[in-house]
Amino acid sequence: MHFIVKQTGVGGERIGHLTDFVKIPGTILETPTAALFTQGGSVVHLTADVLSWVFCSPQLLWVPLSNSIQLEIGVKVQNDGVAKFAGLSGHATCVTLNNLSEVTPSGHFEPNKVPLWTKNGKKMISANRYMDVMEIFKPDIILAIADGRTSLAEGNKRVSKAVDRTKQMLKECLDRYKASKDLQSSMLVGVIVGVANSRKFDESIQNILNHVNTLGGVALEGITDGTEESMDVEIDKLKEVFEKIGSNLPKDLVYIIEGCWNPAVILSAIEYGWDIFDGSYPVKLTNAGVALKLNFDVTKENDTMYLLDMIDERYKEDFKPILEGCECLACKKHTRAYIRHLLNTREMLASVLLSIHNLHHFDQFFRHARQHIASKTFATFKQHITKQCEMLKTFAPDRYKGLNGALEKPTLQKNKKIRVSDNVNSNIDCNSCT
Amino acid sequence: MSTSKALSFKIQSECSTSRARVGRMKLPHYTVNTPVFMPVGTQGTMKGILPDQLENLNCEIILGNTYHLGNRPGVDVLKKAGGLHRFMNWNRALLTDSGGFQMVSLLKLAEITEEGVKFRSPYDNSEIMLTPEKSIEIQNYIGADIIMQLDDVVQTTFQDYDRIKEATERTSRWLDRCLKAHKRPEEQNIFPIVQGLLNPELRKQSALEHMTKDVNGFAIGGLSGGEAKDDFWPMVSLGTEILDKKKPRYLMGVGLAIDLVICVALGVDMFDCVFPTRTARFGCALVNKGQLNLKQKQYETDLNPIDKDCECATCKNYTRAYLHCIVSVETVACHLISVHNIAFQMRLMRTMRENITNGTFPKFVKDFVNEVYADKNYPSWIINSLQSVGINIIETYFLILYNNTITSYLIQIKKICILC
Repeated sequence: MHFIVKQTGVGGERIGHLTDFVKIPGTILETPTAALFTQGGSVVHLTADVLSWVFCSPQLLWVPLSNSIQLEIGVKVQNDGVAKFAGLSGHATCVTLNNLSEVTPSGHFEPNKVPLWTKNGKKMISANRYMDVMEIFKPDIILAIADGRTSLAEGNKRVSKAVDRTKQMLKECLDRYKASKDLQSSMLVGVIVGVANSRKFDESIQNILNHVNTLGGVALEGITDGTEESMDVEIDKLKEVFEKIGSNLPKDLVYIIEGCWNPAVILSAIEYGWDIFDGSYPVKLTNAGVALKLNFDVTKENDTMYLLDMIDERYKEDFKPILEGCECLACKKHTRAYIRHLLNTREMLASVLLSIHNLHHFDQFFRHARQHIASKTFATFKQHITKQCEMLKTFAPDRYKGLNGALEKPTLQKNKKIRVSDNVNSNIDCNSCT
Repeated sequence: MSTSKALSFKIQSECSTSRARVGRMKLPHYTVNTPVFMPVGTQGTMKGILPDQLENLNCEIILGNTYHLGNRPGVDVLKKAGGLHRFMNWNRALLTDSGGFQMVSLLKLAEITEEGVKFRSPYDNSEIMLTPEKSIEIQNYIGADIIMQLDDVVQTTFQDYDRIKEATERTSRWLDRCLKAHKRPEEQNIFPIVQGLLNPELRKQSALEHMTKDVNGFAIGGLSGGEAKDDFWPMVSLGTEILDKKKPRYLMGVGLAIDLVICVALGVDMFDCVFPTRTARFGCALVNKGQLNLKQKQYETDLNPIDKDCECATCKNYTRAYLHCIVSVETVACHLISVHNIAFQMRLMRTMRENITNGTFPKFVKDFVNEVYADKNYPSWIINSLQSVGINIIETYFLILYNNTITSYLIQIKKICILC
């Protein structure tokens, strides 16, 4: 798998191509882009056939091991990679350790092992074990195992250990990677961690630089530990981080950023040359019952919110689509009132329809970003979108502080976990068949 | 014939042995091929499945529950949306129940009087009276192609004769009130419900009474409520024998594969049940022999589809091993198994229609029963019910071994003969 920068913009933003996928020859994935976030190997809430109605071309799947390690035995027996096993052959995969946007309990660490938080609890995992799974999963992109779950407020001792541990584990990953026949067509990506401590941050960057000949890309962790507070980072602070990485590392690497960032932050990252995002943002919106509705037309002033809390009473009799003119199946065929009803009755179709819309719209967002990079008007687009994100902060600060505010609402919190076990089994289904 | 044009039913072919028949039921929104299974979309949605997916699964008619829809989204919203078809964007046929069943099954505080069913709203605790008129009014707003009369529901295993008699007769009185209250007879069909629980006399009386009404089809209710199968089938048989053969007959709440096969043989045209979608949410996938509980460890490395002969999107793309990993964890697992289970029901009904048309239905039934009961240990109700419509699944020699069952069978036959 290869990454090529095709075109650069006025700032650091660029258009790139991911090519040479072994299983999907001829496919080119354009960057900047967001991956499709998966759980248990499936795009959250969507079966393969419904997904094919949202995207007709191959996509990059984001596969955190924390929610997919249970697939290991089956993938191994089938011996054709994780995408095929999950019914999504024809798509590319990027595997990482944890879902960075998820809050996990803190716990003790062991030397050269990091915790993998699965639905069955914590598993300590070494670099060797991680690479064992990679040989089975056969992803197109492997994010090296790292201790990246630290926020910018994290103490020096913890950050220091995180950087040291990540350094040691990267070395082990590289050894395995170089020795493995199976992984030669995969791209190994080094992970920067420990951003909270400037000296250790430098060390982490230097550590990537040391192996830059083998690594195909760089990923950024060590900013957030998954909590809402840690995600609430000033854009200026992030820009400093981007600046430092960008000025120290070569431009031909693919730049991947993890975490649930809002569109304004994403555009800032793109401006500094970041190429791939993990796709957790639209999933979190969906699980919170929120629809994304950005105005992409830079010639039109926007006067409505870019996030709709779909369970709100105001949509009860609103027979318009989520977004007028939107080409997604949810907007072409269904109304706000119907989606509101489905949320209100906690029906699973609500998440399906919101996923369809949010994934489509988020994809459109990146499509527009790429167009503006190509036509050298990215700054205008960024300003246009950023304004919409800021408007939400001004008008409803406690309600939507970015996305994270929305998730703090207790009612939304409830909807957030649409897990089969809670939702489905307890549902009293009433019919004449008893 | 009924004076309303909202339904026309044409029988296309009949089994020369059993009472099974294939028909085409033309409804305002769609023409439905019978015998048909109708999946249940309780609250205006089929548990995580898009209407487009249902069309791809060849669903021709689905159910909505009046009680649930009347509460949420509520009549006002449905009225403004232009009915449930438009609200949920389902362009094929719909059927709604009367809401009476939920009152009794869900609400302990329900009190049934001649006027209607009185109960406390679980939403705001206010006292609500659901009358036959009210039920039809709501169903008129929902706008389904087929709507059900409000019936006086008594639990199937209930024993008190006087109460059963009262319920049966009241159901007939409520039918008159429903028919009178019906505002959209040109677009919607009211089906009366034959009641009488397990009492053949009352059932016969109920069926004969309903036969005198100006209606386009009938439902057989009050069954599938935990009664013994040996008690169940004679009531179905009694219904299909008395009810007008030119009109569709709908057996409420039945959806297990073996039950569908037997009841099609007994002459039933329509079925509904939550079972296929409900069992899917517990990780159970339907196959001819019963169901696979995909949670079981034996499927961990099983790279087969749920059913290699199934053409559904799930079987074409997913293995049992994968479903095993995500079952009861990811919503996608629910959707995938629901899709398969609905496909399974649709395929079973289609296969039956084809066999009836081709004149091979009795053989199909025998093969099916043999597949389900590979050990040949047939339950008596299956032997007897099929025997009653001329399908012998066991040789005469074996019949002797089933002496006891035959005795009870003869008694039942006698009962029916006396009645008819």
